[in-house]
Amino acid sequence: MGRARIAAGEDVPEREEHAGAPWSHVLPLVAVFALATCVPFVSNDYWVLIATRAAIYWVLVAGLNLMIGFAGQLAIGYVALLTLGAYTASVLAAGNVTPPLNPFVALAAAAVLGAILGVIVGLPALRLRTFYFAISTLGFATIVTQIALAWQSVTGGGIGLPGPEFPAPLNTHWGFFYFCLGVAAFCTWMTSNVAHSRFGRALIAVRDADVAAEATGISKPRLLVTVFMFCGAAAAVAGGLFASLQTYITPEAFSFDLSVLFFIAVLIGGRGSVLGPLLGTIILTLLPEFVASLAAWSTFLYAVLLLVIVLAAPGGIAALLDFKSRRPLQSNRAIVPKPSVLDGVFTSKHPGIIALRSVVLAFGGVRAVDGVDLDVRPGEIQGLIGPNGSGKTTILNVISGYYEPEAGAVTLAGAPLPPGNPVTRAGRGIARTFQTPRIVGEATVLQNVMIGGTILGAATFAETLLALPRYRREEAMLRGAARQALRAVGLEGLAQVRADRLQHSELRFLEIARALISDPAFILLDEPAAGLAADEIVRLGQFIQEITRRGVGVLLVEHHADLIFDICHHVTVLNLGRVLASGTPAEIRVHKEVVSAYLGG
Amino acid sequence: MLESILASGLAVGAIYALIGVAYNTMYSTSRVMSFTAGQLGMLGGVLGSLFVLRLGLPMLVGLAVTLLCCAIVGVITEFVAVRPVLKSLEQHLYVLSTLALALMIQQVTAIEWSTEPQPFPRIFGPSLGGMTDEKFWLPVLASAVTIVTLELLYRRTLVGRAFLAVAEDNFAARALGLPERNLRIASYALAGIIGALAGFSGGALLLAFVANGPLLNFYGFVPVALGGLGNNRGAIVGGLALGIFQQAANFLVGGIFSSVAVFALFIVVLLAVPQGLFGTTTARRV
Amino acid sequence: MHTSAAEMLLEVKGVHAGYGKIVVLHGVDLTVQAGEVVALLGPNGAGKTTLLRAVSGLLPWNAGSIHFGGRDLRGAGPRETARAGLAHVVEGHRIFTQQSVVDNLLLAAYDLPREDRNARIEEALTYFPEIAAKRNAKGVALSGGQQQMLAVAQGLVRRPRLLMLDEPSAGLSPVLVDRVLAGVAKLREAGTAVLLVEQLIEKALAVADRVYALAQGRVVLEASAREAELPKRLEHAYFGQRR
Repeated sequence: MGRARIAAGEDVPEREEHAGAPWSHVLPLVAVFALATCVPFVSNDYWVLIATRAAIYWVLVAGLNLMIGFAGQLAIGYVALLTLGAYTASVLAAGNVTPPLNPFVALAAAAVLGAILGVIVGLPALRLRTFYFAISTLGFATIVTQIALAWQSVTGGGIGLPGPEFPAPLNTHWGFFYFCLGVAAFCTWMTSNVAHSRFGRALIAVRDADVAAEATGISKPRLLVTVFMFCGAAAAVAGGLFASLQTYITPEAFSFDLSVLFFIAVLIGGRGSVLGPLLGTIILTLLPEFVASLAAWSTFLYAVLLLVIVLAAPGGIAALLDFKSRRPLQSNRAIVPKPSVLDGVFTSKHPGIIALRSVVLAFGGVRAVDGVDLDVRPGEIQGLIGPNGSGKTTILNVISGYYEPEAGAVTLAGAPLPPGNPVTRAGRGIARTFQTPRIVGEATVLQNVMIGGTILGAATFAETLLALPRYRREEAMLRGAARQALRAVGLEGLAQVRADRLQHSELRFLEIARALISDPAFILLDEPAAGLAADEIVRLGQFIQEITRRGVGVLLVEHHADLIFDICHHVTVLNLGRVLASGTPAEIRVHKEVVSAYLGG
Repeated sequence: MLESILASGLAVGAIYALIGVAYNTMYSTSRVMSFTAGQLGMLGGVLGSLFVLRLGLPMLVGLAVTLLCCAIVGVITEFVAVRPVLKSLEQHLYVLSTLALALMIQQVTAIEWSTEPQPFPRIFGPSLGGMTDEKFWLPVLASAVTIVTLELLYRRTLVGRAFLAVAEDNFAARALGLPERNLRIASYALAGIIGALAGFSGGALLLAFVANGPLLNFYGFVPVALGGLGNNRGAIVGGLALGIFQQAANFLVGGIFSSVAVFALFIVVLLAVPQGLFGTTTARRV
Repeated sequence: MHTSAAEMLLEVKGVHAGYGKIVVLHGVDLTVQAGEVVALLGPNGAGKTTLLRAVSGLLPWNAGSIHFGGRDLRGAGPRETARAGLAHVVEGHRIFTQQSVVDNLLLAAYDLPREDRNARIEEALTYFPEIAAKRNAKGVALSGGQQQMLAVAQGLVRRPRLLMLDEPSAGLSPVLVDRVLAGVAKLREAGTAVLLVEQLIEKALAVADRVYALAQGRVVLEASAREAELPKRLEHAYFGQRR
């Protein structure tokens, strides 16, 4: 599907067209690690140990970053995973339960257990609100520590046990440092790949625009469980390395303070970034060392830092370093869609008709939709109008799956559309926009459009982690398709701009581009003209007509009578949940009852 | 044995219930779940021990000063961690700001006071042992007094009615000209007092211990989760039930696994009924 | 203080307002004189509710000016405007359902001196004897129409100089709408000015002195309520000029 679009008269890809992380993101990370390799040469053993610790912490935080920074799940008690990994690796290497295992095997086993516990710790996130989930992770942290204390036969209880010892040359300070640095670099590379993939974008979509994410087909549970597994595994590996670094672990080593450090490192670094939390981890690990007299106050300082960030710079270090987003934008920008580009966007299909028959839906005691019949045909614009409270948006929400009707049928080509299941719509070729634009403010315009194409990719999470060829190919294709969609709506000049800097009318067209990228059979538009200037409404109307000329079916819910009467092939008027009138625009305009319904009385 | 479980369960449950009420009081006027609720409880015990044992103030004066200090902490919470983030639409920011403040309070206390549990003064003379000891009935008395006072406040005074109004419909309250910001500040001060009362009355049981902060944060939140956010009656019932459950688990499976039991209960209930056993479901999303 | 013959109670000039990035009002001019009833009509999304919220201080506005009784309302919040004599009854009859009728009115009297409260509450209840009879019933026990009457009564407790009503007829049966609007007529006789946002055009015109029509954030029509060609002019205003 995507290949046809790239072939149709595409421009030469820009320098930045790079599947995976663009150079501007990769370079600073490489620089940090390059600097890190020099550490043993310019300092003493003590600093090598500190640097090793920072690297180990980063292995955990790199994974946790995906969970907190990208998925937005505030896992405060993640030290539980560090504890699990440390004890698992130590126990297996020491031979308390099984014959002593090779430390690398023990580490791998810890990773597997970490993945499992990561899912368990994370699962409540699928049902609980932010605060509740945060508290539940605290509970997990407590429990894991309690178990470590209580299970004396295995963990040594309060006395603890020795950490795993790695073979030479890894058992020297330098050797172990470079080993940990290597693991950290590998984790950085993997998480960076995820960040610049459809998984990373899907995560921030779920975080900041979860309703829109559902409409684009992103399944939150599957996505989050995958991420939880990775986070847990990374944290457990970090735990094993930590145990080795400490050479001897007791439950006291896994304090709440440590959990706080990880958590704050991600947030000080900034959400949606890999570099930010990396710098945050380094800063927080090094801070107590430089202000030795304040070592006891280190957690207090972390908390102050967190408060300052939240109040003054919620975007963290990443936002402070984001110079690109402070470049001024041209002020009198006009949106000029180029409908000719649409030729490459849509492929021909025969999707059938979306049909509603006798749909009924009540909220509380009030029937918002009271027996409505409606058709959306390919190649036609069906207008849906009516006074406030008439049920127009409700109907749109029923078609797109957010509401489940109590009675009646909603079908596409005769087959029922699963009620109450918005995630299935994208796969059936139905895309939509929203009454108030639901976009990810912190992501670029291009990334927002690419979110619309999430389900077009087939590369698995593992392929993404390791930047395998299929992932690269799909990223390049998706990027090209996104640029094409932006060119069609006239926003290509703003592709790299943060979406929250756009004007309201541009956001409306951005949502349309996001709907276009998936080559849908139907597009449902929820009051797209609201807030647009008169000339923008005219261009919008022309653009919608061009879309339908390529075979797409459009449902247009609107207040602007002009727009409806100008472009719709068919208009349905609702009042108090029932169809008041249905016909061509010319018929509706002179319909007595319609006029009086609008004017009241 | 049963009386022992009941007595200690009701006592510790009453402390948890009061912390839950403190959570609810802050939530009702600001829609914010604040991490500082547990810290207020901790400060009730620590400051009580500080003023009465270390500084030698009379008991009632010590109590009054403790309540006052915690009310001030509550007001500071509103100014520093709540008001600035209310304007933002990002839900997660208030979790972070109140968490940061709670950590700061905890660290300062740990460093300036002590990281070890310190003794708490006896109010009515030396311990006689047994179930009628003051450490068992003081917290229950404190909760009863608090609940009755709150009922009187909400039903009989205009300020209390204004609290209820802001809690029910913030926008309508503003439109009517009610002083929304002042009411919010007052409710945070009130939450401070309630939390302090929990810690002070429970001082003999929990001692003046800085680790009570995170402990009460969690155990004080479970009644809220069980009873439904903003529902004080649910918090009381949930708290007492939790206390008894915890003491029973303590007795049956030992201290370490009782916390596992409580936590498992918490997770299971929340996953089954996310809005709490007596709570209401949230509004439409789209 | 000198007052001109037609005393300008509310003066809105060139006001722009919106929600976040969405600009709803694009420069609105509107006046209400002391003691007159002004109807504000217009299709959905025109900005009528936004305008009321800007005037009462619920919504921040920029550009332009708003003066009430000669006083500049820039920066004033709902508490200050209420104290100045401006009452805003928001749409959706949002009373406090968990409290009684009397308590709802007491809350409206929050800023009044204690000794005046009961008298003012009784005064407000005289406009709506139906809810006076149910003074101890909780808000949730009232019907939709009664809740709307209570909401209007809340607005009257402070004897406002200008009462702003946002779609009091929404969700009400015609009989109840008439009862509520009869209250508006009584207010006019008592000298209170009313700014009435309504969907039901005929009923609004029956009780109003002047009418404004708002469309897409601008005033598109201003006329006396008695004007002959009004219905046709309104239809044009609603459905756009091109036919």
